[in-house]
Amino acid sequence: MPNFNIDADPKHTYDAIVIGSGISGGWAAKELCEKGLKTLVLERGPIVEHPTDYKTANLDPWDLEFRGGLTPEQKEKHYKAIRSGFIGQDTEHFFANDKENPYTEVKPFLWIRGHQMGGRSLLWGKQTYRWSEMDFEANAKDGHGVDWPIRYKDLEPWYTYVEKFAGISGEALGLPQLPDSHFLPPMELNCVEKDIKKRIERDFPGRHMIIGRVAHLTQPLNGRGQCQYRNRCSRGCPYGAYFSSNAVTLPAANATGNLTFRPYSIVQSIMYDESTGKASGVRIIDAETNQDIEFKAKIIFCNASTLSTTQVLLNSTSKRFPEGMGNDSGELGHNLMDHTYRVGALGKVDGHQDKYYSGRRPNGIYIPRYWNIDQKSKTDKFLRGFGFQGGAYRMGNSEAANRKEFGGQYKDSIMKPGPWEFFITGFAECLPYHDNKVFLNKEVTDKWGQPTLSIDAQYKENELAQNKQIQEDAVEMLEKAGVKDVIGFDNEHEPGYGVHEMGTARMGRDPKTSVLNGTNQIHSVKNVFVTDGACMTSNSCVNPSLTYMALTARAANHAVEELKKRNI
Amino acid sequence: MDRRKALKFTGSMAAAAVAGPSLLSLLQSCKNETRIDWHPVFLTIDEAALVSKIVDMILPRTETPGALDVKTDIFIDKVYANLYDAEAQEHVRKEIEKFDQDCISDFGDSLVNLSESDQIKVLQRAEENSGQFGSGVWGTTVGRPEPVGFYRSLKSTALWGYFTSQEIGENVLSYDPVPGAYHGCIPLSDVGNKWSL
Repeated sequence: MPNFNIDADPKHTYDAIVIGSGISGGWAAKELCEKGLKTLVLERGPIVEHPTDYKTANLDPWDLEFRGGLTPEQKEKHYKAIRSGFIGQDTEHFFANDKENPYTEVKPFLWIRGHQMGGRSLLWGKQTYRWSEMDFEANAKDGHGVDWPIRYKDLEPWYTYVEKFAGISGEALGLPQLPDSHFLPPMELNCVEKDIKKRIERDFPGRHMIIGRVAHLTQPLNGRGQCQYRNRCSRGCPYGAYFSSNAVTLPAANATGNLTFRPYSIVQSIMYDESTGKASGVRIIDAETNQDIEFKAKIIFCNASTLSTTQVLLNSTSKRFPEGMGNDSGELGHNLMDHTYRVGALGKVDGHQDKYYSGRRPNGIYIPRYWNIDQKSKTDKFLRGFGFQGGAYRMGNSEAANRKEFGGQYKDSIMKPGPWEFFITGFAECLPYHDNKVFLNKEVTDKWGQPTLSIDAQYKENELAQNKQIQEDAVEMLEKAGVKDVIGFDNEHEPGYGVHEMGTARMGRDPKTSVLNGTNQIHSVKNVFVTDGACMTSNSCVNPSLTYMALTARAANHAVEELKKRNI
Repeated sequence: MDRRKALKFTGSMAAAAVAGPSLLSLLQSCKNETRIDWHPVFLTIDEAALVSKIVDMILPRTETPGALDVKTDIFIDKVYANLYDAEAQEHVRKEIEKFDQDCISDFGDSLVNLSESDQIKVLQRAEENSGQFGSGVWGTTVGRPEPVGFYRSLKSTALWGYFTSQEIGENVLSYDPVPGAYHGCIPLSDVGNKWSL
């Protein structure tokens, strides 16, 4: 891949600026560049070039000094994100430095960030689901939050568009609550999953258990290789087999010759021109030189990730917008949502002891939402619903360590795989609450002297009622499916663990109650677009990244049309 | 595919057998008759001798290398030295001390000096008394199980070090760094030992 244009460019004026290079920023860059706009992408962290900067991608445990373990210094560096349990010696360099980028938890909130080219597109779970008609109608129907200004039919062509380029594997089911994507061949369920699927679908009419729909290539696409089943995704995939900005959208943007990629660019604010009523550009601090630099552009796409985008907007004050750019409604920073997480059940599975699998599948099972999807499935215990992820596998070291045995026979026995275990864990939709919010904290500044965020959010009655149901349903399904020693669990995680933070600059029909319009433009600053998770008006119960991709491609198309018409 | 039947066991065990004690740096314990052939970083000689003895009893040499053959005890010392913070280091040192004291008060001597049958009794008791790990999902434990005791924790670290050693990972377990495909339901006999990665 050709090098990105990262030279200190004397040119400070572009057609478009994209803030952030993660999943949505990569799409914004690709679409705008391909439509002929000279585009500057501002990235807070370093370049991570595909595949040469995936330094740990091919290391075995014994190649790592501490076999994957983290030192106290590394734990301190990631003292927030370490709570997630996802960071290892092999991936810690893709997680942001929590010491240099503090945030304040008014109530407990886990905020996981990826400060590098590609952002969290290097780290995401790749679970990829379309939202449904009922998701876009949910607020209007039950009166929580404000109505989405768009419907499924508005986004459907853009789902199709991004899916064909990103590459999504999965199985079509024709369910109204989980519309099918354009699929590459699905990955395979293992023996135990196939067995449990049959039992759940037999005993619980209306419930389905499928292989996860994922942004992993199961056959080559556009020069990218297919998944090699190494399950080392978060180190960066040398084959480009999963969707990341680094392997997929940024190379496409770069191929146009229209992309300038600027790393180490700490965005301070978006500049507002009182005379034109438009944004004029972006002010950054160079993270290496501490120099303040201004870049001008006709349009600006905010894709810094949900909370970082809102942080930039809150910090973009002017005479016209003393409370943050586009904040006429007072909703900027409000209505923060995430999915509930790690509530479910697990247990051991008898039988199949002579069966195994080969390959390390970076995917599991999915049980689509089955509550409140029609009259028959309606419950008065909670609004909306939840889905499950999970999987079956043969247990490893912790099971072996728990056996009350030692010695030669024991050692020989643990050379064989442990018993099968199966688990499911729910992801519940969270309602948009005005008082779940973030706001600027000027007392606590980051390494570059910028105000940071305070986060004040919590799950409420409706989410807790769903978690209760998740655990009950999970235990019931596993027991009926013949799983033994079933343990229900609820780790009572605070928001943020789902890493699906959404809202805080929501789309809406009415400028008095929302920040963005139906094409992701700030109502009152039409040349600023927000197409990351900040724009979300509700949060469904399915993983959001595919919807960010589709919204971004749609908004970029609209932006260029409006530019041509000289409307912005 | 039956690659595990021919064990490519040519690594550290054979090397150790050839080298013999005279070529190794022998460190004499101050209070025990035991000695270890490596320089601990965090552990004292006595503590290292105890840790080595325990992991050797958990994972002895059979037809496949034992824990000591692949330097699991050295790895454990490295973990304590480099991955434990000061508080955790102090804690593990106290636990080792307590393990040793319990051994002396109940069996009359440190583990390394006991008869084999008493050594087995000590570990059997530790298996009963050191708790169990809770189940985990995606990197964290579910529920809120009691923390495990020293022995269980040591056993777990020993398994980690043993199975992630190159000798075991590449030559004893089934090693396939680039599987290329996923097959969800195959006979275990096609694979043999469990996958190392």
